[in-house]
Amino acid sequence: MSWLPLSFGAPMVLWGLLALPVIWWLLRLTPPKPQTEVFPPLKILARVLKREETPQQSPWWLTLLRLLMAALVVAALAEPVFNPREKLPAEGAALALVIDNDWASAADWGKRVATAQRLIADAGSNGVPVVIAFTAEKPNAEIGPFDAAAALDRLRAAKPRPIPTDRPAVYARVAGVLETLPGASVAVLADGLAAKGDEAAFNTLLSKNAARVVWASSDRLALTGLTNAENEVDGFALTAIRAPGDPAPAQVTAGAFDDKGRRIADATLTFAPGETTATGTMAVPFELRNDFASIALDGERQAGAVRVLDESSKRRRVGLLSQAEADQAQPLLSPLYYIRRALQPFADLVEPSSADLADAIPQILDQKPAMIVMADIGTIPEQVRQRLVDWVDNGGTLVRFAGSRLAAAGNDDDLLPVRLRTGERSLGGALSWTTPQAVTEFPKNGPFADLAPPAEVTVSRQVLAEPTPDIVERTWATLADGTPLVTGLKKGKGTLVLFHVTPEATWSTLPISGSFVEMLRRIVQLSRNQGAAVANAEAAATSLAPYRMIAADGTLVPPTPDARPLVPNAGPLPVTFENPPGLYGSETGVFAHNLLDPATAFVPLVRPQFTVPVTNVQYAFDESRDLKAPLVTAALVLMLLDTLAVFWMGGLLSRRPRRARSAAATTAALLLGLVMLFGHADLARADDAKPGDAAAIEDIAKTRIAYVLTGVPGDDAISRAGLEGLTRFLIEKTALEPGEPAGVDISKDELSFYPLIYWPIDPSAPMPSQASIARIDAYMQQGGTVLFDTRDQFANGIGADSTSPATERLRDILGNLNVPPLEPVPADHVLTKSFFILPEFPGRFAGSPLWVEASLEASNAENRPVRVGDGVSPILITANDFAGAWAVDENGDALLPTVPSDPMQRIYALRAGVNIMMYMLTGNYKSDQVHVPILLERLGQ
Amino acid sequence: MARIGEAQTPAATRDALARGRLRASLVPDLLVEARRIVNTVIAGWHGRRKRGIGENFWQFRPYVEGDSSRIDWRRSARDDHTYVRDREWEAAHTVWLWADPSPSMLYKSTGATVSKESRALVLALAMAELLSRSGERIAWPGLTDPFTARNGAERIAAQLMHAADPPAKPDLSGIRRFCDIVIVSDFLDPVEETMEWLDVLARHGVRAHLIEVADPAEETFPYAGRTEFTDPETGDKLTAGRAEMLGDDYRLLYTARRQELASWCKRLGWSYTLNHTDRLASEALVRLHMAMTADGFAGRAVA
Repeated sequence: MSWLPLSFGAPMVLWGLLALPVIWWLLRLTPPKPQTEVFPPLKILARVLKREETPQQSPWWLTLLRLLMAALVVAALAEPVFNPREKLPAEGAALALVIDNDWASAADWGKRVATAQRLIADAGSNGVPVVIAFTAEKPNAEIGPFDAAAALDRLRAAKPRPIPTDRPAVYARVAGVLETLPGASVAVLADGLAAKGDEAAFNTLLSKNAARVVWASSDRLALTGLTNAENEVDGFALTAIRAPGDPAPAQVTAGAFDDKGRRIADATLTFAPGETTATGTMAVPFELRNDFASIALDGERQAGAVRVLDESSKRRRVGLLSQAEADQAQPLLSPLYYIRRALQPFADLVEPSSADLADAIPQILDQKPAMIVMADIGTIPEQVRQRLVDWVDNGGTLVRFAGSRLAAAGNDDDLLPVRLRTGERSLGGALSWTTPQAVTEFPKNGPFADLAPPAEVTVSRQVLAEPTPDIVERTWATLADGTPLVTGLKKGKGTLVLFHVTPEATWSTLPISGSFVEMLRRIVQLSRNQGAAVANAEAAATSLAPYRMIAADGTLVPPTPDARPLVPNAGPLPVTFENPPGLYGSETGVFAHNLLDPATAFVPLVRPQFTVPVTNVQYAFDESRDLKAPLVTAALVLMLLDTLAVFWMGGLLSRRPRRARSAAATTAALLLGLVMLFGHADLARADDAKPGDAAAIEDIAKTRIAYVLTGVPGDDAISRAGLEGLTRFLIEKTALEPGEPAGVDISKDELSFYPLIYWPIDPSAPMPSQASIARIDAYMQQGGTVLFDTRDQFANGIGADSTSPATERLRDILGNLNVPPLEPVPADHVLTKSFFILPEFPGRFAGSPLWVEASLEASNAENRPVRVGDGVSPILITANDFAGAWAVDENGDALLPTVPSDPMQRIYALRAGVNIMMYMLTGNYKSDQVHVPILLERLGQ
Repeated sequence: MARIGEAQTPAATRDALARGRLRASLVPDLLVEARRIVNTVIAGWHGRRKRGIGENFWQFRPYVEGDSSRIDWRRSARDDHTYVRDREWEAAHTVWLWADPSPSMLYKSTGATVSKESRALVLALAMAELLSRSGERIAWPGLTDPFTARNGAERIAAQLMHAADPPAKPDLSGIRRFCDIVIVSDFLDPVEETMEWLDVLARHGVRAHLIEVADPAEETFPYAGRTEFTDPETGDKLTAGRAEMLGDDYRLLYTARRQELASWCKRLGWSYTLNHTDRLASEALVRLHMAMTADGFAGRAVA
């Protein structure tokens, strides 16, 4: 079994496998030997038996199943263990475990615990006491000696801490305990990081009383830590380190998270081959950077890969000061107007409530701003001047704008970057030959170096700096003639900036250019907040309560009970058990206390040279698996299968055919039900039918001519018979085969299905409602055509003015419709040629013109036999009673006589109907036919 | 479970003979009607030494005008007269008897009183006894030629005892027309084989009487459970997991075989008699008797 990581607790039991052939032989006998019968008509029986499987003995798979079952049982009894682990040397008087549970051990803490558990288990089986000590615990934590069970409990209770180790102290304590237990085994479970005082610590631990050493280590130190995160001008600069000795290049991804833990930015840091330091920039907009609460390296589950960020890298507070009266009537002339507009998006603006500088400056300084903008303030009151100077020295950024007041105030060495000449310079004035100056390229040494120069900006007045030797390096922006426009100076930790122009657009156009915003923004980014603006300033000065702690696995957690308030002082703040890394302070302002300072480097821990025997072990999980239970389970499952198989072969499952049949019937019914259910569901899903769909589909499946149901039975019958007759004629003469005529109720039926609606006007019919007429109007607008037939050609009285009631009614109806201008069908109208050539359109009566929409292009070229015009007239009006002439009975005989009684008139009437229908369906197609000879001629070429 | 059927040792012919005699005594003298002779039935060999329709030469007689017989020109050529050959009137009828000796006949189930072979021998010897008592010529295909003897049954029994290895299916082509043959078997071979075997009889115009000896277990198929069936003839084995499930189908096929054979016999004018070994042999004997005396000829005459 050397090729398989398998060992047996009771290997002798495996000899039981030899019984398998016997079992096999026994199994061959089952099922029981059949009753042997002599049976002469065997040939007949054979014909019956052909259909049935008749195994001579139990089928091979059943035998295999049972043999497998027996083999599994035998194997299970032999107590197999997969991946057996080797015994660790844990004998002697005691076992002393010193375990590093600092942040560097967090990533593979589970493996360390597993390794320690094995050691404790071996110590327990040897019956030796266990001293267990953790190097990143409270200094007074109990370390034993314990028995194995208590040590295991301790081990399980221990967890990695986000703090460095304290080996010397802990090792000394262990050595103290070991003095009473000479000859102990010492197991060092180190995290692999060297720390100060290691050598002395190991010497203390192993100097005496240690019989042997177990040195546990990872194969290599795979730690990556984030040592620095600085909010730079154009992004967050990140620095990551890794342990030396890794020749391969590596790439780590850092993610920035806001205070809710949402990931808002990414950066990639690349370790060059052999390098231990990687830098990267998280190039995200400034506004977004203000939301960063923490930055963590992906895939590193330890505290060293996380940095928390505090106010110093956050949104800046900017104080605004001005001496001009805020003139609400002319806001554009307010000196702070453009500054306020430029800074608002990315800075918190702080403005004093008092206009008096003596009050206003302290007010602003109390807010601890990162930057103060002074718009043309000449003299600063003496009583606040020193505070302001101190503030600048401590890191404040003072931005001043020139103006008449500043020009008049004179020099101020402390609060101006350059010496100024008294008075201002005017360019392009009435008494000057110079022209307003433009701004040139920004000098390379200034913070604006990478900004594009504002070519559109012109400066007409400015204050001038005294030319001093260092004027060039203090100049951040210059005019085309070389005079400085913006000067800046580092003073103490702070910065002084002077714009040599006013903050409003009087001296220059700089404040109304985009560059102004960019420049201010740059300066804001250079500035640093001068501490948290906490209400209780005194308490804040003394200690900061824990607010958010970095857990050992790199997550931000609420403070643990062990965390104590951090007392900020001048010196470096060590990360200790009482002060684990994290944010200290409160919601209003926090102080970031990070594990790794920028100077940190990972130094691997080298195993000291021991004088006692050493056993090296690797951190690893205990991968041994007791296979007894799975094997027994498998055997039980096989037994179950075997039982089922025997039942099945014994016919138990089919001995009740009726039940089986009923079961089959039930199954079938169930399946059918399911199918019906799903089929139904499908139908329900696909069914978007609305009531009347069938009728609508029927209406549009064939072209149908519609007539208006007037409500007068005789009229409706004649209309129907007439359209019936026209339909027959159409079918007979043309390719058009319309369907049944459709009677429509214009008040509710859908009209858009029909190309033509025939509307016999009957004065006795009720006047259609306004809504109905609106529907007709809409129908006509959408491309339908209504054929009005007053049928009163001979009912009109004598005289031009007299009108029949039907005509009156038609006028009433048309009064509510948008009727286009009408004209009688001109001789060259397409209606006269659309199928038959018809000079006139008689119906039952003759003589009434057919009115159609007047063609706009009435002018007609001589070579055009047909009037040009697009579209189809939405309205046709006649008085000739078309339907009466068309009307036929079921035999096709005419119902009504024509007036005068002329068979040809009926033919003409029908032809008129055909022309109208063709006109409806083909529109001006016929009028385009005039081009055909020319088109053919061209095609012929 | 006790076995339902087993193969018996072959029945002692002596014993069979005694039982056959017993059966035969229960049956009235078998009057075998001579075929195509309508006028009379003469029992035994009395008064048949005269001219008539027969197979053997009887005499030459001078031809008389109007004689319907054909002139025997070979004899007439010897002198000046013309002669007609008369044949002896053969009233006695040749009846062949055969009982199936195959191993399958040795089967006897618990419900049966005797094995099929025993029953078949008894039936055959009883027929021999009956026929020889009434003076008919009897024969056993493959064993004896037709003979007439009062102790015909005994002679056949003796012959059977000494027959070394009787063929499973004797050659029946030597049997001539107008003979009868009684075949006692279980007819368990496929019907087609049986028909093929018996077809020569039909072609020769032999009237056959088939007696099927059936064991009740073969017919009712009372088996259940896991059963291994063995063919006594070929030794083939078949194991049925649940024999009871096969009963319906088997019975269908079994009776279909019998129906087919019976209808074939009926079409040829033959008789087909069924005898179960749990019933008395006399039943079959009586039916065979009936078939050989009256019914068969009616069918044959029509044919």
